[in-house]
Amino acid sequence: MNRREFLKGASLGIGIGMLGGMGFYSYSPMRKAFLPQTERKMTDFGVCKSVKVTNISETSWFDNGIFMKNVSGAGGLLVDQYTFNWAPFGNGKGIGKGSYAEGIAKLKPYIQKGDLHGAWAVAKENSVDADNAGGYSCLVEVEAMDGQVTKYLFDCGWNYDWMEESFKREGIDTMLANNEIAAFIQTHEHMDHYWAFPVVAKYAPNIHIYTPSTFYPPGKQYIKDSGHVGKWTEVKKGLFPLQPGVALYQFECPIIFNVYGEMSMYCNVKDVGLVSITGCCHQGIILFADTAHKELKYEKDAFYGLYGGLHISPFDDWDPKYDDLVIGLKKWNLQRVGCNHCTGLITAQKFVDAGYPVIKGTARFRSKTTNYLGNGDIITFPG
Amino acid sequence: MSQQEQLPYLEERKLVKKWRGPIPAIVNLIFTLILFAISWWIFHDPRGIMRFYTPYVGYNYCRWWLIILIWMAYTFDFWPFKKDWVRNAHPIQKGIVLTFVSIALMIFFIHGFFEGVLGNLAFAYFNPAQLQKLGLTEFYSTEYAAQACMMFAVIASWISPAWIVALEGQPWAKSPQPVRGASIWIGTFCLSLLIYFMTMHNHMGILYYPWQYFTAICPPYWENFAQTVSANFHVAWIMCCTVVVWFVEGIWERYPFTLIKRGWLRRLALFAGIIVIAWALCLFFWYMQELVWGEAIRGHRRDAAPDWRWLHVGETAIFFLVPGLFLQFYCGNWPKKFSTPVNMLIRTGIVIAGGIIIYCLYYKYAHFFLGTQKGFSHPQQFPMIPMIWLIDIWLVNWWFMDGWPGWRRELKTAEDFAEETRLAQASQAWRPGMTPGLVAGVVGGLVLYFFMVWLLPICSATFTLVK
Repeated sequence: MNRREFLKGASLGIGIGMLGGMGFYSYSPMRKAFLPQTERKMTDFGVCKSVKVTNISETSWFDNGIFMKNVSGAGGLLVDQYTFNWAPFGNGKGIGKGSYAEGIAKLKPYIQKGDLHGAWAVAKENSVDADNAGGYSCLVEVEAMDGQVTKYLFDCGWNYDWMEESFKREGIDTMLANNEIAAFIQTHEHMDHYWAFPVVAKYAPNIHIYTPSTFYPPGKQYIKDSGHVGKWTEVKKGLFPLQPGVALYQFECPIIFNVYGEMSMYCNVKDVGLVSITGCCHQGIILFADTAHKELKYEKDAFYGLYGGLHISPFDDWDPKYDDLVIGLKKWNLQRVGCNHCTGLITAQKFVDAGYPVIKGTARFRSKTTNYLGNGDIITFPG
Repeated sequence: MSQQEQLPYLEERKLVKKWRGPIPAIVNLIFTLILFAISWWIFHDPRGIMRFYTPYVGYNYCRWWLIILIWMAYTFDFWPFKKDWVRNAHPIQKGIVLTFVSIALMIFFIHGFFEGVLGNLAFAYFNPAQLQKLGLTEFYSTEYAAQACMMFAVIASWISPAWIVALEGQPWAKSPQPVRGASIWIGTFCLSLLIYFMTMHNHMGILYYPWQYFTAICPPYWENFAQTVSANFHVAWIMCCTVVVWFVEGIWERYPFTLIKRGWLRRLALFAGIIVIAWALCLFFWYMQELVWGEAIRGHRRDAAPDWRWLHVGETAIFFLVPGLFLQFYCGNWPKKFSTPVNMLIRTGIVIAGGIIIYCLYYKYAHFFLGTQKGFSHPQQFPMIPMIWLIDIWLVNWWFMDGWPGWRRELKTAEDFAEETRLAQASQAWRPGMTPGLVAGVVGGLVLYFFMVWLLPICSATFTLVK
């Protein structure tokens, strides 16, 4: 046998053999033999009796056209949110040329005095389209098995004026001042969920706050600059139990506007099933549901309901992959869908078209549609 | 016209290193990386000046610049520029002039033909202004139109070079320019458009609410096979085709298809072979993700989403094209001292190692330099953008600038052509003595494949790339 000829043949054969394996095996049903097997962990985090969610505000911004004009002007969805020159961190230099340091320097004197209306007035002078800012926030009330109710404030919105008005409308300001709210949960660092934090700190500077551990330095500094002096827990990736039947779960995922990581809440409601409460759910509702399925033990092994943003078409945009979600969500057999906010108007319509049990809203206080729960609306689990 | 006159410029030239050893490759790498860094900051970086990385606007420009470069150099052989000028102008002068022409052509095709003509007279989805009239925001009108336009370039950047590489420019190979270029261009353009209708148009048909049942097949025919209605499924295999075309042309030297001596059979086999190899890679890149991250879950938004997995197949392929082109251009297609199949196998091994290194470096460190976010599955981030941008710059450097500053252009002599032919004939011929090796190699290749399949989950469990 000629060694040289053998090597030539072998070199060619290796390529053919590998490509053959790749082509014939890689997408065949047999391939599953090599896939990693996942066992359900079935972590028991207890049960609660019921959950009530009051929508303080789901209108993050009021005019999507203005918001998207800002996004275009600043350079798209990957630009750092602190550089947009959005209120309150405006420096007067125009769209896409802002910075946290310059913005907060103008606000600090007002925040320290508790004059948030004055701070927002300054922000309006130096920012782009400040009046378009709204915010996302809700109050979560968990009834334990012994009947005791624990209140959590979930996100705090964006516009100081709008959020203070919304807090007053729902009595949140009084609850904060009276220490009736056990903790403040900041789901992620996005402006529409977080930048009105001084409103929370104004009424309850000592409140225990939970944030994902993935905040960037400006986000962390803002907590201090807002006057907060209480306990601050940074939740790391994974499960973080809060009380029996209630747990946070942090997902480390990259998000638009240069934000990283988001946490959401699981509630295990006795004899009903799992309820999820989300800020934006940038991790995706299917991942959130699938994570629960793999990690947690919950009543009736059923994903019963959800409340919050699902971040599907927040800018009234669309992509065929969102249709995959609308189609894929069916298998979870949800019983109460309290979606709103960044779920998007088109998605809500598609959910309704697909026959999902979407809870209708009243379209009050500047919410745009009755297709989903609007500002001031309440949802309970079980319904 | 002499035989030399008929040869495309890229085939008649001989690039000679100005310095010994790896110095020219290092110098050109530094030079092109500097160009990349400056141009990335000016055009794409989300912290930079023009911020085209929105992402689709920047993605569109990257892809279209690539196809324009292919058309100028491969299809039209630099026509209408005179051959004397192409041969004798200084590389910097050529680089600047041809780059500006390519950018002007890119703008013409994107904003003139697709947006202006097709977008106003045929398909609203190519034109942002038309979409805005229908109620979309300016941002998404621009993004969707850019996406639609970009998808055409994805197909064309496979079909156009494949016509030259696989079909050897037939049946117009012996026609003079511009007949040859124009004929191939019209042929590939029409074929690309046809493939576009059957792969991407359906995606655009379900991009708008309600689904456009009367103008596109909704849901698309690939839904059950691909577990998604997104055309990222097609992006996956078409990107693999694009990459395989350049592997075939470069590191594989069109082997083993050169063993087929009958012209039409070789051409058809090579054209089909590119697709078959691309599909094999495509399915394996999908499987790799399953082995590392688990099975895809329909409706997922992150690394388990089928649409993202298919997209990532294309992205992965591009990560391997980068070392492939670097080896071909700047390393003289090393090694060359063995027989063609052995050379080809060694080069493939180098490219696999290089692709894995670039993949790891990208996900570990790119966010520090490119203004992007860390993590695998950011819905608005496409590693293909910086990778293709770098490839564009390399093509400009190698095709337009003759490898300046590390290389000097000379023209091949009759002896050079004779030597090339002799080597090809000696090395690229089938001999019965290769059969036992071929059989053993096929078995070895299968063993190697299953070894990788076994190894990947272990690697995944052992290493964390993005912390």
